[in-house]
Amino acid sequence: MKVKDLMIRDITAVFAEQRVKDVIKICAKQLFTGLPVVDEEMKVIGFISESDIISGAVPSYYSMLQSASFIPDTNQFKRNLNKIKEKPVSEFMTKPRVVKEMDSAIYAADLLIRNGWRVLSVVDEEEKLVGVVTRMRLLWGIINSPNI
Amino acid sequence: MEVLTVTMNPALDREIFLDGFEINKLHRIFDPSKMDMTPGGKGINVSMALANFGVKNVAMGVLAGYMGRVIEEELRKYSELITTNFVHTNGESRENITIMDEVNQTITEINAPGPTLDEETIEQFFQRYEMTLSRVSHVVISGTVPPGVPMDFYKTLSNVASKKGKIVLMEARGQLLTNAILSEGCPKIVKPDLRADRKCLGIELKNIDDYVKVSKIILERGADLVVLSYEIIKNVVATHEGIWLLDTSQQVDISHVLGTGDTYVAGILYYLLRRDKDLFEASKFGYIAAVAKLRYSKKIFPSIKEIEIIRDNIKVERIV
Repeated sequence: MKVKDLMIRDITAVFAEQRVKDVIKICAKQLFTGLPVVDEEMKVIGFISESDIISGAVPSYYSMLQSASFIPDTNQFKRNLNKIKEKPVSEFMTKPRVVKEMDSAIYAADLLIRNGWRVLSVVDEEEKLVGVVTRMRLLWGIINSPNI
Repeated sequence: MEVLTVTMNPALDREIFLDGFEINKLHRIFDPSKMDMTPGGKGINVSMALANFGVKNVAMGVLAGYMGRVIEEELRKYSELITTNFVHTNGESRENITIMDEVNQTITEINAPGPTLDEETIEQFFQRYEMTLSRVSHVVISGTVPPGVPMDFYKTLSNVASKKGKIVLMEARGQLLTNAILSEGCPKIVKPDLRADRKCLGIELKNIDDYVKVSKIILERGADLVVLSYEIIKNVVATHEGIWLLDTSQQVDISHVLGTGDTYVAGILYYLLRRDKDLFEASKFGYIAAVAKLRYSKKIFPSIKEIEIIRDNIKVERIV
């Protein structure tokens, strides 16, 4: 089974110069957990996920804490999020998470599991975005596959 | 991807085949095949017909709410050759319900309104449109626009695409179309939508001379092909080489017109992409593709094989 058999053929993406709040808006409306970041030719240059935005908005000492119960309330998070929402995507995006259409589904699953990612961008031979593949899409595809 | 289609006002078309339909009565439907749910809107129909012809395309536009997500999902389910790239906004996309009663020979339609688009949504769409243009060679801009979209919007889309060397095909009406035709980046292929009124560029199309006059004006503005529907089944086709009237010897049921114009557009593009660059021949192929669509009462698009079978059933008369 190949990535092309399981991918979602949707090329919703953002530019690196777009604002963080654009990402939140698109993801909330389209039920995505993150978006590919592309250049003007639609080559994938990064990825921005809900986790990247949350990490950018939680207090800097948060990563040293064992539990969120040490944080008194959500006000600081809200203040931070309001600060970063107008900032460009480029400040929070991570490296491209890509697979090719002809890659095997198991390779995509391995990438998702090893890295704890939820979504991979699918690109063509020119590294241009052609769709995405999600964890659930992989699971759904595999249980519905007659060959397994 | 070879073609980008724009549908600013998509809809979910629901057709219910209900014999003996009456108002003030409960109707239960036990056969699921009597209910059809398909994504709609002119550009989306073109995308579906193109997919039938084996042409990869990307469907763009604005969707809204739960209805919008259903339209998108149904469109992706329709064919692997369709990629989606819609902006989602507040409100709900249109839902068009049609109740067909073949016993009483009635059609009852209930059309819900679409969303009103704000400036931010239009800007977001435009950004994505520009981004996607780099991936295609042909652009289809088709149908009406929802409230909030300025009347020079199609003109802007056409100009931007033309500047990037893309071939633009526009099927629209009223001021939206007029503004695009009168602009510097007039679409290369123009198919005025005459379903609501037989008028184009403010000129009423009463007789064949009016069709010729309008065709010539559009060609002078920069188009290379003009297609105008004439007396329901016929078409006036104009290029810089001449003006023709197309008709068919095929027996057709004109009550099956839903989606024929969109099949016509898809047929033209298929011919240009897969066969030859001759615009007149492409328009003939589009015409016969539309005739092939008339076999189906539902929104089912014909295959290339079905089109080829009736390809010779076309009558061509030169007018100019």
